[in-house]
Amino acid sequence: MIIPYEILFIIDLLASLSPYIIVVLSLNLEFGYAGVANFGKTLSVAGGAFLVGYLPGRLTSWILGIEVGNYVANSNAVVAQINTVFTVNPILALSVFILTMVTAMIVGAVLGFIAAYPVVRLREEYLAMVFLAMGEALLVIGYNYPELVGGTLGIMVPDPFAWFRELRYPATTIIMLLIAILTFIYIEILTKSPLGRMLRAIRDDEYAAMALGKNVARVRVKTVMLSSSIAAVGGALYAFYSGGVIATAYNRVSWTFWPWVMVILGGAANNRGAVLGTFIFVTVRKIIEFNKDKLAPYIPFDVVWLDMLLLGVALIIILIFRPEGVIPEKPIRTVKLRELKHNHNANI
Amino acid sequence: MVIEPIYRDALIFSSLLTLLSIGLTLTYLTTRVPNFAHGSFATIGIYVALTISRIFKYNVYYGLPLSFLLGGFTALFQYVFILKPLLRRNASINHLMVATIAFELILLAVLNIYADFLGRVFKITSRYFQLRGLDFQYAGYPGLLLVSPFLVVSVGLALYIVLTRTKFGIAMRATIENPSLAETLGVNADLVYTVSWFLAGGLAGLSGNLLPLWFIGNPDTGSFMLVSIFAASTSGGLYSLFGALLGGYLVGFAEVLGTSRLASLIGVWVIPYRPIIPLTVMVLTLMAIPRGLSDLISRIEAVKRWSK
Repeated sequence: MIIPYEILFIIDLLASLSPYIIVVLSLNLEFGYAGVANFGKTLSVAGGAFLVGYLPGRLTSWILGIEVGNYVANSNAVVAQINTVFTVNPILALSVFILTMVTAMIVGAVLGFIAAYPVVRLREEYLAMVFLAMGEALLVIGYNYPELVGGTLGIMVPDPFAWFRELRYPATTIIMLLIAILTFIYIEILTKSPLGRMLRAIRDDEYAAMALGKNVARVRVKTVMLSSSIAAVGGALYAFYSGGVIATAYNRVSWTFWPWVMVILGGAANNRGAVLGTFIFVTVRKIIEFNKDKLAPYIPFDVVWLDMLLLGVALIIILIFRPEGVIPEKPIRTVKLRELKHNHNANI
Repeated sequence: MVIEPIYRDALIFSSLLTLLSIGLTLTYLTTRVPNFAHGSFATIGIYVALTISRIFKYNVYYGLPLSFLLGGFTALFQYVFILKPLLRRNASINHLMVATIAFELILLAVLNIYADFLGRVFKITSRYFQLRGLDFQYAGYPGLLLVSPFLVVSVGLALYIVLTRTKFGIAMRATIENPSLAETLGVNADLVYTVSWFLAGGLAGLSGNLLPLWFIGNPDTGSFMLVSIFAASTSGGLYSLFGALLGGYLVGFAEVLGTSRLASLIGVWVIPYRPIIPLTVMVLTLMAIPRGLSDLISRIEAVKRWSK
């Protein structure tokens, strides 16, 4: 079966969108609602992705009793063997997938705790600096400790959806999209609940919230942990989809700065805005990427830099002229006054 | 007197880092936003040094005035055209930080474009280059070993004299303490901010110009040093120029000597993990003495005075 070019573009777009939607929603929960400026988003994303590089291959080869030797050096051959088993054994493949995802969430939460705990009581700028440094530190480890994700060479990852055979890419894309939609619904419910209102209260006036008996530091640590575990899911999905993990792919530009651009573009503290921002941003970048070869003869440098330059300028323009984003934050939806009065009268 | 190579490394790195941390603290004192683009101001100096020495074939040190001006004007541009409009619109600290990140992306892109341009048009190594062979020697020591600490001492002295002995310096301190009160007394706060940003960018440019004489220069060198600069400024207290100076030497020496010490203790495999040291310094400072070294010192002095 040959898939036409346009469909390929759409599948590729949807597949790149899903992990970003998840990461951006998690950042929106942290920054938009709780006001914690996480400039080390890549910490939890890379945490999830590194786990995918580390765990499923080793685990499955252990279950199947495959002779591994040095896993990092032989990951190509081992993963090929695992994938042939996965093509005929969906149950094993799915169990490995689910187990990896759950572990990734735990890893994300732990990393979030490590990053947030020392500085959560301090002001935004300290938080931002420490988060950034933490993200860099994990990348340094991923890059230099080959046992984790193969260091500079990277590592192969088994494909838990190999049993879809030739429909593997569309199927993986749909599953990723489903997980992204589930994340959206979850965060939407969460932020519309009393918890969401408490987060906004803490963001807007820390001291007032404290005076009302809210443990601000603790709520912040928990929010960062939750958000990091969600971001780790995004990173893990991206790693499974790419079929391999290399530390350099999780740099601070791709997984911290771009998600920030998306949140600001769409509108902070607004989940629909965050999704819209992600959609606009990823689509524009994909279009540039697909048309790169057409531009290349006209400019004497790599097109990547032009892309970065334009996005930087665009971000500054948005910040100055429309800081609230495409869809601004809306007031909290409360029960209508008329209904309240009605209920009150009925009770009397 | 023989200085071991590792101490040379430490002294040069710390001095260059200190020039950067003083600048970062200076901008933080005025606009109260940590500038995520500060590292890339240094990269501008790195490329001025490369251009001056490899294309125009002049001594690298002749690049210093140009690096100072280019770094200074870039910082000024950032303040006037990006941060000032945002401050006027009462942007939150988070939005200001994102704006500095956006500027960092722009600088990175421009520097990479320039590096590509140098490589393609002039056929010179414009990435991962080093100009160590171009430095002068003095009594068997590399010139930079004398120049870099000398530069820090003179910058420190100059700042001290300006801030304590001149009218403008006093106006500057007043503005840092309380901008609106200073303005009611007739101080031009905006001029103070402008000068501070220009100086910060200029110092970063100087530091960058000297950097490739000893270390490797690349379009992302400055951005890579950002964590060390933040660590130096925060451990100094983020509110004190003297603290930034102390912090710069503390973090610089901890990074270079700490790495080599650990390497000889537990093995050379630790060397690539060097960036974890400034992070550790930063986290420990924030947990133990969140107001930094300068605050700690003034408190110790207060206790001494009191016990007399």
